[in-house]
Amino acid sequence: MADLTDLFGKIVDDVDAAFLFSPSGSYYERFADLAEPDVVVVAPDNHVGADNFVELPLEFENVKDRVRFGLEGAIDEGIAEDGDVVACATDVFDDSIDTVSRVRVSEETHTGIYDLFANSRADPGVIRDVFEVAIELGTKGQKGEPVGALFVVGDAGKVMNKSRPLSYNPFEKSHVHVGDPIVNVMLKEFSRLDGAFVISDSGKIVSAYRYLEPSAEGVDIPKGLGARHMAAGAVTRDTNATAIVLSESDGLVRAFKGGELILELDPEEY
Amino acid sequence: MVDWQVLLEEEYRIVLALLILLGGGIAGYLLGRLNRRVLRAAGVPEVVEGTPFERTARSLGTTTVSLVARITSWFIYGVTILLALNTAELPLSTQLFWEITLFIPDLFVGALVFILGFVVADKAELLVSERLRSVKLPEVNVIPRIVKYSIVYVALLVALSQIRIHTLTLVVLFAAYVAAVIVFGVVAFWDLLRSGAAGIYLLLNQPYGIGDEIRVAENQGIVQEVDLFVTRVENDGEEFIIPNHVVMRNGAVRVRN
Repeated sequence: MADLTDLFGKIVDDVDAAFLFSPSGSYYERFADLAEPDVVVVAPDNHVGADNFVELPLEFENVKDRVRFGLEGAIDEGIAEDGDVVACATDVFDDSIDTVSRVRVSEETHTGIYDLFANSRADPGVIRDVFEVAIELGTKGQKGEPVGALFVVGDAGKVMNKSRPLSYNPFEKSHVHVGDPIVNVMLKEFSRLDGAFVISDSGKIVSAYRYLEPSAEGVDIPKGLGARHMAAGAVTRDTNATAIVLSESDGLVRAFKGGELILELDPEEY
Repeated sequence: MVDWQVLLEEEYRIVLALLILLGGGIAGYLLGRLNRRVLRAAGVPEVVEGTPFERTARSLGTTTVSLVARITSWFIYGVTILLALNTAELPLSTQLFWEITLFIPDLFVGALVFILGFVVADKAELLVSERLRSVKLPEVNVIPRIVKYSIVYVALLVALSQIRIHTLTLVVLFAAYVAAVIVFGVVAFWDLLRSGAAGIYLLLNQPYGIGDEIRVAENQGIVQEVDLFVTRVENDGEEFIIPNHVVMRNGAVRVRN
């Protein structure tokens, strides 16, 4: 009679690295003495003190996104290489690691999800904060009504030159940064205004009410998305900014960089 | 009815002294208890928690709070004993005796200042190292320690001068130290100070904002970021990081066309 451990053991046979997603300290301890393969920790912060560590800026609810982020981060930091086979241990159903999947690392499926955070002009923390605002706005809406919003993060000088004000800028001469709780409330209030928010590399809110006018030539975004997404895609193609869009119609949060749709999140899952 | 006046007579002085001793003992004990309660209610145990002083106190089987409370009690016991001895008119009432008596409050305050100084120093060390936690530079650990020992030194000075030990040399040493810190600080941070002062003006008045095209000292480009110390100006392929004092000294040209 076959043993379950043997049968499932194939999943982790001959892997080049083991990826642990947000392991607890004691869980990581058990792996620490392992000679083979390498152990890579992917977590919001390195409190277990792992040598190989990829920072996870957002607890992606979608496991596929989470794994993809970890792998692309590992490639970027030189921990993993194209063609490696790795075992990814993640949690799916509750807060402890309960699932192992075998994944082949491949450059071809590169989505840029890691670059979105780590290699953008803006600080990773700023992009994370904007994501959090967008997700919160998506779950709660503005006074119960679904709202749309467009945040353009980074390269603010160039973005300002490729846009014009629709009305007076409520953030004129103010020095507020995303991430402060009070500012998130302000952003939510102003989200009922039309136009885009422009946020600088360091997270300063430069302007609201901006009408973006980049050239939309050659921007390829999925059909069916509206003008807001088109503007977001186009502005990231024209500048080095990252755009984070909350769709009014389907309530999804999407991130654009370099004119391409990089990431799609459902706020309801967070 | 007892005639209390009788106690003041010669032969009853010993009894009066004993009564004073008894009353002082009770008062000292109660005041110590009260002090402990007041300190607890004021949240002192939480504040001193984790400081090396508290840890040392704990390893000696006591706590900072009970140490302070006990000092209060001892102070009162000491005064009581002296008072009682004086009342009993034992042949002790000399010049020396009075000097010792008057010295006790100073000793008490000195001890209190010393304990307070230690606790504050430990706390300051913790706070500073907490603030510097995100700085990943091993050498930075020296700063919290400097802060701690500076405060301990000041507390020591106050305590010593309280118990009338000549501290002039120590004060001179301390003044030299403070002067050195200030002089070196100003010299080392001169540009940062000037940039910071200029940055306050730039941030408050915003003569130029993000997105404006400016020229500062031959560097022309679009403003990307203005913070307290520097202005980041970018043109095609180049990013100039211009200290704000340079902006103030040379002036900025806003390019409009």
